[in-house]
Amino acid sequence: MTLTMFTLNAFYGLALAMNMFIIASGLNLIFGVLRVINFAHGMFYMFGAYITFTVAKSWGAPFFVGVLAAAVALGLIAFAIERLLLRHLYDKEHLMQLLFTFALVLLMSDAAKMIWGTDQYSVGYPPGLGGAISLGFVAIPQYQLFLCAVGPLIAIAMWLLVDRTRWGRVVRAATQDREMLAALGVNVPMVYAAVFTIGSALAGVGGALAAPRIALVPGMDATIINECFIIVIIGGLGNLWGSFLGALAFGLVVQFGTVLAPDWQDVLPYLLMLVVLLIRPWGLLGRPETN
Amino acid sequence: MKCTAMLAAVGVLAAGAAAAQQPPIKIGVLYPLTGGGAVYGVPALAGHQLAIEELNAKGGILGRKIESIERDDKLNPAAASSTMKELITKDKVDIVLGGLASSVGLAMSEVSKQEKVVYISTIPKSIQITTDKLHKYVFRTSANTDQEGDTMAMLAGKNKLSKICHLQLDYAYGNDLEVGILKALPKYAPDAKIVLTLKPKLGATDFNPFIPQVMAAGCDGVLSGLWGPHFVSWVKQAAPLGFFNKIKWISGGEVGSHEIAGELKGEYPDNVISNTYELWYHANDPSHKEFQAKLAKKLNTQETPQWAALGYIGVMYAAAAMEKAKSTEADKVAEALEGLSIGTPVGKLTIDAKTHQANIGQFWGPMVKKSDRAYRMMEPAEYIQPK
Repeated sequence: MTLTMFTLNAFYGLALAMNMFIIASGLNLIFGVLRVINFAHGMFYMFGAYITFTVAKSWGAPFFVGVLAAAVALGLIAFAIERLLLRHLYDKEHLMQLLFTFALVLLMSDAAKMIWGTDQYSVGYPPGLGGAISLGFVAIPQYQLFLCAVGPLIAIAMWLLVDRTRWGRVVRAATQDREMLAALGVNVPMVYAAVFTIGSALAGVGGALAAPRIALVPGMDATIINECFIIVIIGGLGNLWGSFLGALAFGLVVQFGTVLAPDWQDVLPYLLMLVVLLIRPWGLLGRPETN
Repeated sequence: MKCTAMLAAVGVLAAGAAAAQQPPIKIGVLYPLTGGGAVYGVPALAGHQLAIEELNAKGGILGRKIESIERDDKLNPAAASSTMKELITKDKVDIVLGGLASSVGLAMSEVSKQEKVVYISTIPKSIQITTDKLHKYVFRTSANTDQEGDTMAMLAGKNKLSKICHLQLDYAYGNDLEVGILKALPKYAPDAKIVLTLKPKLGATDFNPFIPQVMAAGCDGVLSGLWGPHFVSWVKQAAPLGFFNKIKWISGGEVGSHEIAGELKGEYPDNVISNTYELWYHANDPSHKEFQAKLAKKLNTQETPQWAALGYIGVMYAAAAMEKAKSTEADKVAEALEGLSIGTPVGKLTIDAKTHQANIGQFWGPMVKKSDRAYRMMEPAEYIQPK
């Protein structure tokens, strides 16, 4: 592989990693605090992309207004779902929660069909990000560079929010002992609602940012949820920087692996997960479960 | 007392009506109506319904009304098999149409063979349906991978490609289309060399691992079987690198259809030559105008999708065969379909008595910019029909 190809592939891998990180970090946050495995997260991603299409293409608003709209809309949808439905299931067994989020997938996919039909859609690149930047020996698409910049920014923002604010301390405390937290006078249900809202809004942003580089079709949610689970498991359940590392590993392995061993493209992410789990069953930055 | 008398009267009336009217002919149909395949399955079903509405308005088939029983095949061969069996055993359908993915078409053909019910494959293209896996009850009214591969090879020769990159999706359709192209390439382009073959997976959204390889391979043309969303995602990821400036893109998979051109609009790249079954803006048969107008009314858009024609043609073939056989019995209908010719919106078609393949063609041509339109159009669109 020449230096040109290596650089280009590395950027592609990083861009994919960052796009996936934005989505997976939301899933991870929700799991870390609520202990709910949200199967509907992929559907939230798809809604993010479709909402961006409606706002940016049908209504003609700037692309980034579409991204913001996707975040806000998914936040609102998630808030309503949490307050009206999900909160009744925290004390129930895990199976009930799984069935509930799976039911959401089915309901939302029918809702998407009613709202957007079954056509295939396309969102253009935002102005100024549709070309490539020449670095002399290689040209890198601007949008990929943009994704490489946005991913770490979101990671840092989440780290500041969770590790450096009072609200973040409350969230972290909620993962440790919610009864004690409630006894201390913290409104734990609202903390849960806020976490579910933020996590889901991240799925919306991830979908919105993916929209210019892929075709929007019904069923685009199908594989994304598996990939998010892989990233979260590789990184360590509930760990923000773990998800970041997991996404990096995922993006680079998928990109370089598909180039070098195309016949293995389907199983590469699973192989990666298998290897990590064999060496560190609790994930790269996770902690072993202590009972 | 009065009440009972009235009930009795209603009973008599109902019985009388039932006797006067024969039971309807039941046409079962499977298309993907949810998930990724719905992009094509839903418009195909619209064409299917349009044909049944038209036939019913004229009194149905053999004087009997047609009842349409529509199911989702979920783009999944296992689901399609069990749903088709249910249509046959529970709903007692007289014939089954549809399918989209080649894998689903092969599965449906298998059920048709077991249950001895006629199946008309209206979209699946895998050549195996009408060769290795051919049986008495299966017929195809769409194009097939040999035919598509032959035309693509011909176009490679016509465009004087010397170094070819070959892109196919890694599943039944892609693999069969590859065989079709390789078979025909020596005939049309004896000097052309395939320098790179890449097979992304079905449903891939990320083509970045492949795009730089094609650009580095130095080919002057690509033969591609990337259809629908695969093509769109490829375009979006490759265009920023100037991919389409130098490379001629000859593509099967109907990326020349208006569904794709109308959605990509200004993003649709240069140098694409592709195919489509039907074009709302171009006719090769006088009956197309009426068909397109009706479809436009049904779908409430002037710019109608090509897939509707395939659903429509399937139903019209089923109806013509039953009329010819004067029966709905599978054996008689199958015999009637062999060699049967009908007029369709894309011209007169004939089903070969031996291969059970209709001689349907496709429109092929370059996708060009139009000064008065926001989207590209195929021009000139040449209707290429198998000999």
